[in-house]
Amino acid sequence: MASTKRRVSHYEHLRRKWISRHRDLQTKLWDKHREALSFLSQNTKQLAAGSLGALMLLSAPSALQLPQTVLVASEKIGQDINKNLFLVSDLASVLPHEVRSLTPSEEKEIAEIFSRYFRLNVSAELGGKRLNRSYGLIGQEQHLARYPGDTIYSHFDTKEEKEVFGEEGMAPGRGAWGYFAPSKAEFSKKDAMREKYYIAVQTFSAPGFYEHVSEYRDFFKYRKMLVVNPENGRGVVTVIGDAGPATWTGKHLGGSPEVMKYLERVDGRERGPVLYFFIDDPEDEVPLGPIIVQ
Amino acid sequence: MKQKHFYSHIVEIDSLVIELDKMDLTESEKKHLMSIVESSVHHAVLDAILSELSEDDKKMFLQHLAANDHDVIWQHLNDRIENIEDKIKKAADELMRELDKDMIELKERDPQGSQ
Repeated sequence: MASTKRRVSHYEHLRRKWISRHRDLQTKLWDKHREALSFLSQNTKQLAAGSLGALMLLSAPSALQLPQTVLVASEKIGQDINKNLFLVSDLASVLPHEVRSLTPSEEKEIAEIFSRYFRLNVSAELGGKRLNRSYGLIGQEQHLARYPGDTIYSHFDTKEEKEVFGEEGMAPGRGAWGYFAPSKAEFSKKDAMREKYYIAVQTFSAPGFYEHVSEYRDFFKYRKMLVVNPENGRGVVTVIGDAGPATWTGKHLGGSPEVMKYLERVDGRERGPVLYFFIDDPEDEVPLGPIIVQ
Repeated sequence: MKQKHFYSHIVEIDSLVIELDKMDLTESEKKHLMSIVESSVHHAVLDAILSELSEDDKKMFLQHLAANDHDVIWQHLNDRIENIEDKIKKAADELMRELDKDMIELKERDPQGSQ
């Protein structure tokens, strides 16, 4: 009987191992020399961008250059990585060492940082509603069926996308809001983007949820959220597409395979800290997907 | 892709390129892996240097680094750290040995790889 275990290419094996090692080096460097590096990030904002070449190597390696064969549109951005360095530094000055619920003043500071770097109106609370937390551990979710009959074979637009994101598979059930479209004929690009960049959050743990279930459900359904990996400054505009994960998992939210890959949270551990804040976008003007620091 | 750093004359990463050339990788895959190597070496070298400097000297060094003035960087380092070139080389060599070991182990375990 043939083995069904997927073999990993030399490239994929080395990429994973070396990025993990790189992350350790990065963490060690910042932990030991945070004061000087933060000073630099504050004082190089006035320098010409061209003079920052040596500093650019201090950022995440996957942002440097990815092979065309595994590139998805979202990863073609991320050129201006020195700006991510500043964002990482600013976040580090506010975030606690442990992953815990943030205090209101910490959330306010983080929201201000995000609003400044991403030019978005961002907050942990919107219209008096909030989630149980805004800083937590994200875990990998599977793809969601977008319309009745959507399978792993119909799910991707290109062969490259299927190669990169296919192995995560489809969730056995539907998301908390049901299908994204009632039928394939009515399925739109907007629906596709919502599934591609969805997160699952613990709506059921939001303060006030059980007193106002239908009101809160309507509020959370496809609500836009900015999710940021504070360790590399990568941000992605998502929608709440599902409820979960269960509290006993130890995770606080989940991300679609596309979200996780962009945030670089797929590293074997498949969970790690992220910040997630509401985006106030009443006119639906903010596009979903990766967003670069301004 | 490869950048010229102030330490490029004492840190040699071409041996890894040769080893990667022997593997079944596309050019873009090789380039990406080398960018990880280059950035990793950069972090290791900076850690080795910064660990030898006072807080004030760290800040000054990083400003010189941002300006990318190699002569000023070396003068700053040579005035403050004994045998700094040896220390940089040692830090880079240790990392390179680990990366080299990763490739050897991989080739022994899975000589063909898969696409």
